[in-house]
Amino acid sequence: MAATTIGGVAAQEKPLLDIKWLTFAFAIYTVFYVWVRWYEGVYGWSAGLDSFAPEFETYWMNFLYIEIVLEIVTASLLWGYIWKTRDRNLAAITPREELRRNFTHLIWLFAYAWAIYWGASYFTEQDGTWHQTIVRDTDFTPSHIIEFYLSYPIYIITGFGAFLYAKTRLPFWSQGLSLPYLITVVGPFMILPNVGLNEWGHTFWFMEELFVAPLHYGFVFFGWLALAILGVVLQVASSFNNLIGKQICEAVDQGLISK
Amino acid sequence: MSALQSAVRSHAEAVKVSRTVDYILLFVVFFVVVGSYHIHAMLTMGDWDFWVDWKDRRLWVTVVPIVLITFPAALQSVLWERFRLPWGATVAVLGLLLGEWINRYFNFWGWTYFPINLVFPSQIVPGAIILDTVLLLSGSYLFTAIVGAMGWGLIFYPGNWPVIAPFHVPVEYNGMLLSVADLQGYNYVRTGTPEYIRMVEKGTLRTFGKDVAPVSAFFSAFMSILIYFIWHFVGRWFGSVKFIQQS
Repeated sequence: MAATTIGGVAAQEKPLLDIKWLTFAFAIYTVFYVWVRWYEGVYGWSAGLDSFAPEFETYWMNFLYIEIVLEIVTASLLWGYIWKTRDRNLAAITPREELRRNFTHLIWLFAYAWAIYWGASYFTEQDGTWHQTIVRDTDFTPSHIIEFYLSYPIYIITGFGAFLYAKTRLPFWSQGLSLPYLITVVGPFMILPNVGLNEWGHTFWFMEELFVAPLHYGFVFFGWLALAILGVVLQVASSFNNLIGKQICEAVDQGLISK
Repeated sequence: MSALQSAVRSHAEAVKVSRTVDYILLFVVFFVVVGSYHIHAMLTMGDWDFWVDWKDRRLWVTVVPIVLITFPAALQSVLWERFRLPWGATVAVLGLLLGEWINRYFNFWGWTYFPINLVFPSQIVPGAIILDTVLLLSGSYLFTAIVGAMGWGLIFYPGNWPVIAPFHVPVEYNGMLLSVADLQGYNYVRTGTPEYIRMVEKGTLRTFGKDVAPVSAFFSAFMSILIYFIWHFVGRWFGSVKFIQQS
């Protein structure tokens, strides 16, 4: 996958889209988060109600410490690996290999989208219902430990992984820094630092839960920035267009595909 | 890259490649929109959307269409303009509804046991179909902003009425007149969301009481026009294909 292209010779007969990696990208988040949902389903009620109890330390604070360490290690290894194994001779890439890497990049984007779903939709609104059921006695409630410090870092790590893959493997994306791509990954990343503002406000402000409180608008703004995926999609289309656009036009002319 | 070499070996393979790209990009756009639209929705109109006793005639009717027309407008401005795909608004609301339903079912009900008929989300598909078809048929963003967004705002309450009407049947509960929706809010205790937080119509001395819903809907429709207009440009900006620091 990551080898420097030498003289245009690349492994020719690998599939264009590796279904196994696509399946892996889908399954790894799904299986992991379903396990997380089970864990909080059980230990939210049995150990997560009183943060001053010793079992909270065991089942929830230890969860927090472990996940933070694992996230830092994973991000360092993953981003480091992608960068160190960058293609240093992109000019020699064959069109076939470039097409294959475009598909691998799509798998990365697929993983990012799936990770964003779990973080921004599933665990965020889930935190909503926990807030409305339990009056919090810590900033590190069970659903915060999952939402803010597990699901957000995971989509951030995935997002920058996707960005780095494109930048280091694909000629189209290596021509500079894609503005929409940067916004797509940096915007949702900023949701994590914004937790600082949010928790600071909540420590002396709102004990009750009003979701539309202005204190939360930072999340809204950074959520908007994920819409730059629209620009990324246009760029993905351009990247593919360079490789198969001519054949697609001919296929349309021949009636193989409708307009 | 050599111009003589081809990335694909046949036209059939090119077609297959383009179809595979379709599926994956659909997934990507859909779930990124689910995530970001849901965050936006939750924190701008979520409180009205969570509970049937917040779904009133004044605030809910006004707020929800105004804040929710944003992402549909942005998606339309790229998907129609660049691909002539006429489902920008509908894909956004389908994404939001999927995200909301999974949460209401598996978390509001599944984790904290609120009944689904207290926490079902607002219905927003009819307005999205209006937006998409108006843009498809007219091909004009200006026309869609005025007529489409007007329809989006106006259809919202009628589109929800068949769902919420059964909860507005009056009951006498311990000597007080309540709607069934009020009673649900009273019965299913929301520890973190006490009653005084609830922003619903309470009447004023300067208002007429009878036609609050249609008047609110018209105001919401008018505001939706402005928001559509603005977010159409926001969408164009997000659809940028610029590179910075060209190497």
